[in-house]
Amino acid sequence: MTDSAMLRTEILRLVSQYYREKFANKTFEPFRDLVHFAGRVFDEEELTYLIDASLDFYLTANRYAERFEAELAEYLDLSNTMLVNSGSSANLVAMTALTSPKLGDRRLKPGDEVLTVAAGFPTTVAPIVQSQLVPVFVDVNLGDYTAIPERLAGAVSSRTRAIMMAHTMGVPFNLDVVLDLAKTHNLWLIEDNCDSLGSQYRERLTGTFGHLSTFSFYPAHHITMGEGGCVVTDDELMARIVRSIRDWGRDCYCAGGENNTCGKRFSQQFGKLPFGYDHKYVYSHIGYNLKVTDMQAAIGCAQLQKLPSFIAKRKANFQALMEILKPYEDRLLLPKATEHSNPSWFGFVITVREGTGFSRNDLTRFLELNRIETRNLFSGNLLCHPAFEAIPHRVVGDLKNTDFIMNNTFFIGVYPGIDDNQLEHIATTFKGFMRGERAGTIEI
Amino acid sequence: MAVVQKLICTVERIVSHGEHVYTLDLEPERALPRFFPGQFLHLALDDYDPSSFWPESRVFSIASSPMQRRNLRISYSVRGRFTARMEKELHERQRIWIKLPYGDFIIDGKSDIVLIAGGTGMTAFTAFLDGLQPAFSHTVYLAYGARNRDLLIYRPLLEQRAKEIPQLKVLYFIEDGVNNPLYPEPAAERNEFIGRISLPVLLQKVRNPFEAVFYISGPPLMLKNISQELCDAGIKPEAIRIDAWE
Repeated sequence: MTDSAMLRTEILRLVSQYYREKFANKTFEPFRDLVHFAGRVFDEEELTYLIDASLDFYLTANRYAERFEAELAEYLDLSNTMLVNSGSSANLVAMTALTSPKLGDRRLKPGDEVLTVAAGFPTTVAPIVQSQLVPVFVDVNLGDYTAIPERLAGAVSSRTRAIMMAHTMGVPFNLDVVLDLAKTHNLWLIEDNCDSLGSQYRERLTGTFGHLSTFSFYPAHHITMGEGGCVVTDDELMARIVRSIRDWGRDCYCAGGENNTCGKRFSQQFGKLPFGYDHKYVYSHIGYNLKVTDMQAAIGCAQLQKLPSFIAKRKANFQALMEILKPYEDRLLLPKATEHSNPSWFGFVITVREGTGFSRNDLTRFLELNRIETRNLFSGNLLCHPAFEAIPHRVVGDLKNTDFIMNNTFFIGVYPGIDDNQLEHIATTFKGFMRGERAGTIEI
Repeated sequence: MAVVQKLICTVERIVSHGEHVYTLDLEPERALPRFFPGQFLHLALDDYDPSSFWPESRVFSIASSPMQRRNLRISYSVRGRFTARMEKELHERQRIWIKLPYGDFIIDGKSDIVLIAGGTGMTAFTAFLDGLQPAFSHTVYLAYGARNRDLLIYRPLLEQRAKEIPQLKVLYFIEDGVNNPLYPEPAAERNEFIGRISLPVLLQKVRNPFEAVFYISGPPLMLKNISQELCDAGIKPEAIRIDAWE
């Protein structure tokens, strides 16, 4: 073994030791420690992979990115997985891809409509606006928080060209209706699967139904890279477009640090450029640079191996919370899966029913005071936010449930970092609130 | 282009066809990524450190079927410095690095197809032809040319496939006529013709050339000449697809 190889082995051994000293064997103490709504769950593997990638000092996407993309493609049983630097970037790239001139008559043009919902995360909708398209909002169900199928069917106009929606909080939207609509009206479908890695619809993974699908690997998500996301597709042309938009808009698809993988670098004609202009610097899209580093991908590789256990733990925590909160169902609307779906839950969504004598904010304030993190269902009603007030849009019917969600809904965590002690603390806290405690911490 | 992967392969078999033309059978260390017929790989002779930069490599069409994810076949003829190194340095049981898949020279089956292959350029089509099903709803014409009869190295596959697929029509072109006394003279009844690939002969056989899509793979001069001849014959440029590498 060379000196550098021996040093590397020693560094990685020390990193494992560091993990054990710094992070391992933490025990939860109620009222001192937060019950997070989400968070990174990792062991020494994530840390050693990260340091291993940093010791390569390749920096840009390389062996770990290649491995992650291959393993995620295998998991999803799809041909193309393309890492980007966030789930929001994934949405931006996916939506922009549908405006590519390479799609000919099927490309989206300014003013075309995209069906979506307002009760969600802003960067599901922002790329629609950024692409000069018109979001068409339909209301959502209470309980599963996905688009009301009948409203979707009634929302299609002569300008409608696409559907872009999230499987909210891990709950698959009604894909039977959506796929039928897409087929009937020749619509593109982008599945925002950022919150739903591992969810299934009719026993098939979500994120594998759409022309394009997106994933997020932010720490709050099912697996993390710190910052990271992915666009996936089984369509080869679409994959080429996605890579181009991600990588500055260039036509060349060589990975960073590589040259002439197409074998035609100096022998093609593009636009009005001189024949043979270096393909590395030919631009076929107005693009971005949204790539990941190999350090991010390295963490993702370790996380992906844990995905099955993470999903199982999310489901177990969801079930445990369901049992804890079932007695309060008269006051709290508890979450439910859509028909034919098997969610890989992102969180445990609760809506405070009308006439309970307390508000959503009363409850979340109490939970937070007792060190239980809560989050609203993202934007509530996106159209009420300053940035979205004046966007060109269309609303189909009303957004009554969306507004109700804005005022009455929140979620707590189900992520794998929540253990039995934390569940017990959650149970005790809810019990205290429901028996009338309000201001401070509960009495033990 | 599906997710590109770099992987080590063992050279299982090297077949010399004579005149510096070879076929390599490779066994990858793990299952190959998905690829499509017509795509190609990069092959490197120098060692590769996955934490560093990819070494010098050359591209080769993947001749084997995408269904076979545990073995790979390529063919090459010695044409330059790199392929000369391959001829000299490669040996059986050697471990080499490849990366794949690349390329968009993918045959779509929406109309009649005319494949024109020169020499080892045939490898761009073998995976497609290997996977061709009897239910295929269009006619596939193939003009396959080589310097001599021995260098029609994929002929056994084609003859087998032509028996199984009635809509596959194959013409063989042998540049320097007969050089093997064991073989009879080229004869039109066996779909053999002497000389370079002849477009007039081929177009005579194609039922409706103006509705077909032409795919050409072979040496650069052949690509240039045949694509020009097709244009001169009135074939629209968008119906001519070329598998050209530098």
